Amino acid sequence: MTRTRLMTGLSALALAVTPMTGALAEDADGNIVVGFATAETGFMQAYDKPAQDAAMIRIEEINAAGGLLGKQIKVVNADTKTDRAEGAKAGLSVLDAGADMVVVSCDYDFGAPAALTAESSGKVSFFLCAESIKAGVQGVGPHSFSASVLAAVQGATMAQWAHEKKGARDFYRLLDTSYVYNKGICDGFDWMLPTLADANLAGEDVFKNDDASIAAQISRIKALPKEPDAIMLCTMMPGAVSAIKQIRAAGINSMILNGSAVDGSYWLSAVPDLSDFYVPVQGSVYGDDPNPDVNAFNALYKEKTGSDPATQYTYPGYVMIDVWAKAVERAGSIDAGAVVAELEKMDGEPTLFGPRTFTPELHHQNKARYLIAEVKDGKPGIVDEWTISEPVPMEALMK
Amino acid sequence: MASFPKVKSVALRTISTPLILSAVLVVLALVTVAYGSRPFNQTMIDIFVRVILVTGLYIFVGNSGVLSFGHIGFTCMGAYAAAWLTMPPMMKELSFPGLPDWLKALQLPYGPGAVLAGIFAGVFALIFGRILMRLSGIAASIATFAMLAMINTIYANWESVTSATNSVVGIPIVRTIWPYLIGAIAAVFIAWAHAISRHGLALRAARDEPTAALASGIDIPRVRLVAFTLSGAVVGLGGALMAHSIGVVTPDTFYLGLTFITLSMLVVGGIGTLTGAVMGVVLLSLLIQGLRWLERGVPVGESTFALPGGLQEILLGVVMIVILARRPSGLFAREFVWPARLGARRRNSSAATRNVPAGDA
Repeated sequence: MTRTRLMTGLSALALAVTPMTGALAEDADGNIVVGFATAETGFMQAYDKPAQDAAMIRIEEINAAGGLLGKQIKVVNADTKTDRAEGAKAGLSVLDAGADMVVVSCDYDFGAPAALTAESSGKVSFFLCAESIKAGVQGVGPHSFSASVLAAVQGATMAQWAHEKKGARDFYRLLDTSYVYNKGICDGFDWMLPTLADANLAGEDVFKNDDASIAAQISRIKALPKEPDAIMLCTMMPGAVSAIKQIRAAGINSMILNGSAVDGSYWLSAVPDLSDFYVPVQGSVYGDDPNPDVNAFNALYKEKTGSDPATQYTYPGYVMIDVWAKAVERAGSIDAGAVVAELEKMDGEPTLFGPRTFTPELHHQNKARYLIAEVKDGKPGIVDEWTISEPVPMEALMK
Repeated sequence: MASFPKVKSVALRTISTPLILSAVLVVLALVTVAYGSRPFNQTMIDIFVRVILVTGLYIFVGNSGVLSFGHIGFTCMGAYAAAWLTMPPMMKELSFPGLPDWLKALQLPYGPGAVLAGIFAGVFALIFGRILMRLSGIAASIATFAMLAMINTIYANWESVTSATNSVVGIPIVRTIWPYLIGAIAAVFIAWAHAISRHGLALRAARDEPTAALASGIDIPRVRLVAFTLSGAVVGLGGALMAHSIGVVTPDTFYLGLTFITLSMLVVGGIGTLTGAVMGVVLLSLLIQGLRWLERGVPVGESTFALPGGLQEILLGVVMIVILARRPSGLFAREFVWPARLGARRRNSSAATRNVPAGDA
């Protein structure tokens, strides 16, 4: 009796679950469909949502101007729940809903499962802001791109800029080994450093993002015969705040360089009156971007979402739709092969946030114009602009 | 009833359990294929992978009564072994430059790859088990947890062989449901065969009456080791198939999150029965999917009814507490059996000792 009831209940449940995906599988004739397989819940949402909002702004602009190839762009969504297995399902969901292009989570680890589903269906996929070379030809495959700039470029940019503009000679390298992104920044730094005249590595050390204390690392810096000119700190949130705070509390006043991951003013109250802290950014969220169009975009973003962009990771979403739509226009079709070929022809393609280049070997930026944001007395602001003299070579990227 | 024919029929008397469970899985697979939605297909593949993991866990935990927090470590080993065996050599050169050359040059189809990955995990379970199985009770559980932490740390840091915390891509993705169905059914039959074997019976005897078991000459560490090795191999196979279902592996996938979800599925389903292991996964997974569907929103007439985001996790927790409060030994404290046999057993209850049928605790 119990068993029969259970079996009946089970089959009823199975049937009840089935419509959940069926609702998505509507045909989208007449429209070009962009599928967002991104995180609507979980911690990745904080990264995906702003970039996705920026992408939506570009999509609305294109639709308002008459659409793409005379068609409107329609958007379908599926939540990855910041989970890799759910990511694969989300990718398949948007593909079943007719997506011609699949946008996946910002982070390479969380975006890859959905990007792989797009790749195996022969569709173009874009990572919202992945900064690993694997978010592209080298990892996912020939139809995959990233809208951001490689992490190594950030490390190389900071090293060269600090050397040329701030006269830094003695560098200290402090790497947080918890995330691949951090290693990428330090890889770029490692490649750039030997090319800089008179520059030398005063020392290096590692820590983990969740280390409560980096006292041991700090005492090794303090033990150096001379305080280094610059500390290349390759880390990200939330560990970055604690590391910076401890370095300054120990009385080390060297300039601190980091990647874009610590852009934004939201954490500055935790390190009051922080100075001599520098990060590279693609555009300014502080209202002082040298390009007035970026400030206009920030205003539009605020109008649409109710707040200013919190960090520069908002911007790649806009760039992504921009370059993809241009490639579709030039190809005259949404066929993935033709769109990829047009994207790969882009060489210094101007965008609101600097020129973008794609080649058949690299679907990512190995050289980019960066604004340099400085935190001075606890206030962030743009102080300079820098483009590395040479693109970061493949060997440094594949480390 | 004479004892001679009864001994001969242990397999026959208990085979209905794996058969019914396999039938449930086959029905689920057929419904999925008939429905034809790719995301739903992927959901069902996930469920089958979890069935393999939880059934593997049951082989050891259910029969020995020792809670293991370490099995997901073997899943991790299986997943990475599958990556080592099945990725194209060129991509292996990039991700795993430290592998021996013969392994780098090797590229197996996913089937043999998954079986070898299971064996690889089983061998390591044997090695770890030689030490761990001498412990008992909470000490053994904590030792398995220490083992998980060890495996995770090695896989998260051994850059040249595991690519450390980098996501490994390039694993062939298998999106047809059949290999996963076969894997799940194989796991169910392995668990059943072990449970009715000499080792399985001895292990359950040791679980229920350790002193009596020892007095009867049962070598407890040895029978535990057999179960530990076998269950390590099955969860290793599950790890390999999990890798093929998503196409990406990272060490943090195989850590606390997966450990606790698989353990809770086993406990809610019924820790002492094979039916509990399988049906716990199926029912809880369907519940999770159902709640996610409600979160996404259901059209009710003109409007859409949707649960607030994140409520799924809360409701799941509530449901699990209610189930455990009402049925402390899980949803399925008894195995699925043919109806006639159930009646026969009831009439004959004195003859059926609790240790004879598969996991009939």
